Amino acid sequence: MSKEDDRALNEFTGEAEELLDTLSRDLVELEAQGRDVRPEVINKIFREVHSLKGLAGMLGFGEISELSHTLEDMLDRLRMGKIEITRDLIDLLYDAVDSLNRLVIAINDPAVSGLIDITGLTRRIHHVVSSQPQKAHDDPFADLTLDEQTKKSLTEYEEHRLVENVRGRKHILAVEVRFDFSDFDEKLRALTELLSQSGEVISTLPAIDSSGGAGIAFRLLYGSTMNVAEVAALVPEGSVTSLRIAEPAGSAESVDAAAPIDVPEEDLSLRSISQTVRVDISKLDHVMNIVGELIIEKTQLDTLTRSLHQGEALQQARLTAHELTKIARNFDRKLNELQKSVIETRMVPVGQIYAKLSRTVRKVARELNKEIELVLRGEDTELDKVMVEELTDPLMHIIRNALDHGIESAEERVKAGKNPIGRITLNAYQQGNSVVLDVTDDGRGIDPENVRKAGIKRNLIAQHDPFDQVRAYEMLFTPGFSTASAVSEISGRGVGLDVVKKNLQELKGTIDIRSVPGEGSTFRIMLPITLAIIQALVVRAGGEQFAIPLTSVEESLRIYSRDIRTVERREVFTLRDFTLPLLRLADAFHLGHERDENPDSKWFVVVTRSGEKVAGILVDALVRQQEVVIKSIGERLKTIPGIAGATEVGEGEIVLVIDVGTLIEQFGGKAREMRAAVAWVS
Amino acid sequence: MRAYLTTIIEGGTEAYDLEIVEAASGFEALKTLPHHKFDAILTDINMPDINGLELVSFLKNHPVHRSIPIMVISTESRDEDRKRAAALGAEEYLVKPFQASELIEKLRRLLKVA
Repeated sequence: MSKEDDRALNEFTGEAEELLDTLSRDLVELEAQGRDVRPEVINKIFREVHSLKGLAGMLGFGEISELSHTLEDMLDRLRMGKIEITRDLIDLLYDAVDSLNRLVIAINDPAVSGLIDITGLTRRIHHVVSSQPQKAHDDPFADLTLDEQTKKSLTEYEEHRLVENVRGRKHILAVEVRFDFSDFDEKLRALTELLSQSGEVISTLPAIDSSGGAGIAFRLLYGSTMNVAEVAALVPEGSVTSLRIAEPAGSAESVDAAAPIDVPEEDLSLRSISQTVRVDISKLDHVMNIVGELIIEKTQLDTLTRSLHQGEALQQARLTAHELTKIARNFDRKLNELQKSVIETRMVPVGQIYAKLSRTVRKVARELNKEIELVLRGEDTELDKVMVEELTDPLMHIIRNALDHGIESAEERVKAGKNPIGRITLNAYQQGNSVVLDVTDDGRGIDPENVRKAGIKRNLIAQHDPFDQVRAYEMLFTPGFSTASAVSEISGRGVGLDVVKKNLQELKGTIDIRSVPGEGSTFRIMLPITLAIIQALVVRAGGEQFAIPLTSVEESLRIYSRDIRTVERREVFTLRDFTLPLLRLADAFHLGHERDENPDSKWFVVVTRSGEKVAGILVDALVRQQEVVIKSIGERLKTIPGIAGATEVGEGEIVLVIDVGTLIEQFGGKAREMRAAVAWVS
Repeated sequence: MRAYLTTIIEGGTEAYDLEIVEAASGFEALKTLPHHKFDAILTDINMPDINGLELVSFLKNHPVHRSIPIMVISTESRDEDRKRAAALGAEEYLVKPFQASELIEKLRRLLKVA
């Protein structure tokens, strides 16, 4: 295969994947809107399949092109109102998109092609198309005074839209306008857009300007929630007449209150389907590296400035320092802008994986014979592309878990006075520099007592070990733990929540549980928006410098040795109204740097949070706050808990970046048997 | 599809000495009209702004342009729309996808040239 072919192929798979991705998301919307689906959604899906067909046909991918063609036919009928939206039809659409996805994957990985049953799918499509009774078309013009020319110029599709608008009890209006020939296109597009906000412009018929002027007239057929007077007020230059012989029964307004807002359809069709540009992620990585290096340069500039400021130097040096500070500040601003824009190009909406999740939920729910309503929110929340990809598996796992263990059977639910249909909500939103994903189910919740029993059974804890809710949640993330009495086909695949947690930790994320027995549980995932560059607090402990990611830092304060108390052999500090467990950073990394301690010796406490856990990290000094670029420190050091990587903080000085999550966890685990200990505070 | 059509049609320009004016939308077509004296008009049915039927309707009711012969081009599935175009007065139609020879043959018929 030539290089050119290779490139064309790559471009095709990239473009096809993107199309199918958008398609999946639109299917979710179609499913959510059900029978009241807006025509734009079906049109968009239709156009996407059409584009895929064209693309595949051009490059000779016969199977993809044929399947899209069959699908396009079916969608065309749907668009025309010749077939109806049913459960089966939506299932079929999902399956078809699934198969198309596989066909695209099979281009590079022939092993997949055995798994695709196109004949079966085509047969199902034909079945849907042929077995659905053609919807009886009542005469759409029966109640309308439609002029002959407009009537004759309607395409089949426009006629269908007119019927739908009549059925939807919309006001059917004729809006006649006259424009100057020089700018009629702009004026008419603006008018169409305006009208589309509260209705649908069904057709636009041009006519000769009967006033004898040099203009052009248009007769718009308009289905709207507004009545004649309202439209006339909106279009003072036009003449508006109602085409209904009798006003629709019942107030149009009351029907319209619930009607979804129409997106101007014409508007959509003028734009390309996707507003996104595909960029090879490695190219972005490269740009990101340059930004990183720039940041290091800038840090050196800072260091230089500081030393100039501090030095007992000449007046001139001070002035230079002042100038340098100014330059550094401007540099900083520009750098921030650059960084922000680069990060933004890496961002994709989490909604990209919603379709996948939705498919899995449908499938698993069917297998488990449970009826589930999946509510997806915050699909526009953006995350680094790499993170979104890595997030799919952990999310899928949590959702499967909720379906399998959380949601009760319909009988159980009815007995408990709940809706027999279980509900799982996935909500994504941004919080500061983090993205939060909440997976909430309204199932049976987590009973700590059950967890305790299961823990004892698995020799994870002893009979009389102290146990509470916090411990219970922790236990769920312990390797080898599962409360399901029988390992089920769904979630019991030898992978537990411990793996989910580990995966999330690799993304510098955390996971926490909130649960009320009988009412349901929420699994909360928190992730930084991007992994590449972070704000960090540089501290000194045991003669070394460390960088603590600012996202984990709640606050920092100065204390004296006498403020440190020991409770149950654990060092703690009373921070306002709660007891903060402490962790000596120098001890955690076994830095044998002894400092003489007396009640008056000063410490700094960096109050850190990892998910629900809070701990105070004891350090000797706070050095400064700065941006750091986290670099990997290689395989060998990767296994050391508490370290996320390394970074340069200027003048080539390398410091380790602390991973707060694993640090407090690991140190806590050891400390229970050792001198100091850390307890978790919720 | 537009690019595809244009390629075929441009090929025709050289071979048959035709001058072609292209419009990307219904509005563009309307704007082009006063500037040329067309021997024939070829139009798709699905177009932005105004559709092919509306264009045919406009042209066939126009005191000046009504005599320009029209060929409507659309896909197989738009059979019903083609019938409507004929009812509005379009003289010829062509189903996409088509061969260049088909286009030329129908164009000859439309222009009444041998």
